[in-house]
Amino acid sequence: MSVTLHVNGRRTTVACEPADMLLDVLRAEGLTSVRETCRIGVCGACTVLLDGEPVSGCLTMAGQVEGREITTVEGLGGTDPVQRAFVDAHAFQCGWCTPGFVLTARRLLEERAGGPPLTDAEIAEALGGNLCRCGSYVKIVEAVRRAAGTDGRGRA
Amino acid sequence: MSALGVDGRVTGAQRYSVEIERPGMLHAAFVRSPHPHARVVRVDAAALPEGCVALTPGDVADLGLYGCQARDQRVLADVARHAGDVVAAVAAPTRAEARAAADAIEVEYEELPAVFDAVEAVAPGAPLLHPDTAASAQEEVSIGVRPLPGTNVCHRFRLVSGDVDAGFAEADVVVEEAFRTPSAAHVPMEPHAALAEWEDGRLTVWAGTQTPFNTRADLAGLFGLDPEHVRIVAPPMGGSFGAKTFVRTEALAAALARKAARPVKVVLDRAEEFVTLNRHPATIRVRLGARRDGTLVAKEVDCWVDTGAYADCGPGVATKLGYAGVGPYRIPNVRVDALAVYTNLPPNGAYRGYGAMQSVWASERAMDVLAERLGMSPLELRRRNLLRDGDRFATGEVMHDVRFAECLQAAADSVSYEADPRGKGLCVLLKGMQTPSRAEIAVERTPVGYVVRCASCEMGQGVRRSIRLMAAGLLGCEPGQVEVPDPDTDSSPFDTRTTSSRSTHMMGRALAVAVEDLRRNGGDRGVGEIRNEGGLDPDTGQGIASTHWHQGAAAAHVSVDEETGRLTVKHLHGVAYAGRVVDRPGAELQNEGSLIMGLGTALFEAIDAGDGQVANANLSDYNVPALGDLPARFTHELIEREGAEVHGLGETVLPPVPAAIGNALHSLGIRLHELPMTPERVLAAVDAREGRR
Repeated sequence: MSVTLHVNGRRTTVACEPADMLLDVLRAEGLTSVRETCRIGVCGACTVLLDGEPVSGCLTMAGQVEGREITTVEGLGGTDPVQRAFVDAHAFQCGWCTPGFVLTARRLLEERAGGPPLTDAEIAEALGGNLCRCGSYVKIVEAVRRAAGTDGRGRA
Repeated sequence: MSALGVDGRVTGAQRYSVEIERPGMLHAAFVRSPHPHARVVRVDAAALPEGCVALTPGDVADLGLYGCQARDQRVLADVARHAGDVVAAVAAPTRAEARAAADAIEVEYEELPAVFDAVEAVAPGAPLLHPDTAASAQEEVSIGVRPLPGTNVCHRFRLVSGDVDAGFAEADVVVEEAFRTPSAAHVPMEPHAALAEWEDGRLTVWAGTQTPFNTRADLAGLFGLDPEHVRIVAPPMGGSFGAKTFVRTEALAAALARKAARPVKVVLDRAEEFVTLNRHPATIRVRLGARRDGTLVAKEVDCWVDTGAYADCGPGVATKLGYAGVGPYRIPNVRVDALAVYTNLPPNGAYRGYGAMQSVWASERAMDVLAERLGMSPLELRRRNLLRDGDRFATGEVMHDVRFAECLQAAADSVSYEADPRGKGLCVLLKGMQTPSRAEIAVERTPVGYVVRCASCEMGQGVRRSIRLMAAGLLGCEPGQVEVPDPDTDSSPFDTRTTSSRSTHMMGRALAVAVEDLRRNGGDRGVGEIRNEGGLDPDTGQGIASTHWHQGAAAAHVSVDEETGRLTVKHLHGVAYAGRVVDRPGAELQNEGSLIMGLGTALFEAIDAGDGQVANANLSDYNVPALGDLPARFTHELIEREGAEVHGLGETVLPPVPAAIGNALHSLGIRLHELPMTPERVLAAVDAREGRR
């Protein structure tokens, strides 16, 4: 079997079973920012954006994503304002969970672009599905606030 | 370093130990005992699929025992001593095939009686786990292990200072309370991972580990090799918190690779993490005596420290837990008796704080019980007895650069404790650093800057950045010109290990020596070494517990819904004495991370393994703090002093968190003795208070 994936703007056909999990398929493709921690969809370490929405790679089957757009942090290229905000705010320690937080935060900021400022409760709610065992949360919230100071495309 | 694109942690470019690959490598899976205590009668690998390799008892018969402080562990257990003990292993071309192959191995067991509580395990007639304990230890890890033969006690630590009976005779008020803490999981986001490869009789292991040189020594002993014929490379870890210390999966990977004659990689799944290494549960009885004016005159601390199926570093944890139980106080008469005890639970080992949390929970809760009996403010009782510069601690050593009073006051002020102490609690902490220990580092000049080689392992605590910043300062260059390669026992000089918040303190000093050596010799390479001598006599507790003290405090302000038992931490504040801060954002992250981990320990983290089976071995049933669990006010501070040396702070504010919250509850008449402080326990304590009225 094979499945055609649209990952980070590129189209690739990979040999896999439709029931293989997206987490394993993407890692096999070398996208190692998608990480395995809990494998039951509670930790957010394997978060990817599927047509712009955060999903857990460990709960998403390859067959479900045929023809849909997948984004991982590798696709942001290091130039995204959310990535810059995470670096500027020192919002990570070991860095394992960081890609998942960056992608979830990116979606939150997109949703709220042009809206009222995010409250702490809204940020906590939106990032509640991403765990950071190093406990970098204070600076992660700071990073989201910094990134929210722009229009999501790096312009203040 | 803040230049965009450079930090691989935001771009996904960072590689961890799970990502190490070698040509032709196989993947491992383990066959684990379902029984908490059982003799392995027969292992049958006849149904092994083609292309797979099985490791069965006959394959490891030539190998002896390993273990960092007591050699009590076999590569494959001949007697399974906990549910999850590895009794056979397989290697196969993929992880999925390896798991299927492991399922094809049949094992016959003869079940044995088991014990799951450290107090019960020392009672006469308890099932014995290691009737013939071999208590030999590696030089680097040795603490003078004192097993009690014929019992489940693998180490007994005693501390005696003054005359405790005479002390209690002088006391106007004596309180005696018992406290318990459960086992907990480290939950590093990245699981344990190791890859072993043999070449010409030489073993190389790439592993996420905090202890490359200890692992090298233990593997060398196990396989009968010179330590120089074992090489450990330690890539960055996706968190560890003590989980990745000493030999965990490395011996199995090496034995499988030897059998398969190919490189073998091990990556544990999440459920396996919960049976690999956890935190020591402890039962601690504190007896504390004071004069009417609040002067402490005597203290007794009895500790039962559950080290699980294997000793690992349990003797060291029991020792540190034991002397930390004295607290940062001047007490003329002290007796401590701490037992590290085998039980049929998964092994327990180093966990951020190394026993300090357990004894601080007991000791600092007992202080508030005593304050209540004396009719004195808990803050005033502490102030009156805190160690000051030049005082002698119960171990006989003289204390220097003492900042306990400052830490405590900062904590009290953060919650306006003196204005109104209701719903508020305080805790002050004394914690030692690994002593004796040794750190070596090398600085090499290159055409574009410098390479700094050392065995300090990066697990998210930021040691690489600290070393880079310190080196740049000493060498007068940009941090970006300093390269810090992954620890590699072939090229990194010796270091005791990356534990006990010692790396920035020890390596920083060694680095200054190395840079001075480079200047003086005028060549391309300078080396520096720092040795901290000391250690405690395990029978008297006298000596040098720590050449460098971690000092901290915490304050909590809570409210309780007395209908449901729901406990809300409205404000949590942590204080660490930092001496001199090397990397401010890094130090803040370590403080914040310690507080959050302490919050999980205080409120909800506990491994449920009462019958020997871990019933919550996943991240749905075992919760770790998420962003929404942070208190509405969550603050901390680093106390600095002009001209001070660098103080370690990777763990300091974790241990005081549970007791600060417990003491806040105590101020409301809600008396908790056991962690975590779940709504059920809080509600029961509210009911008990109503019963007293």
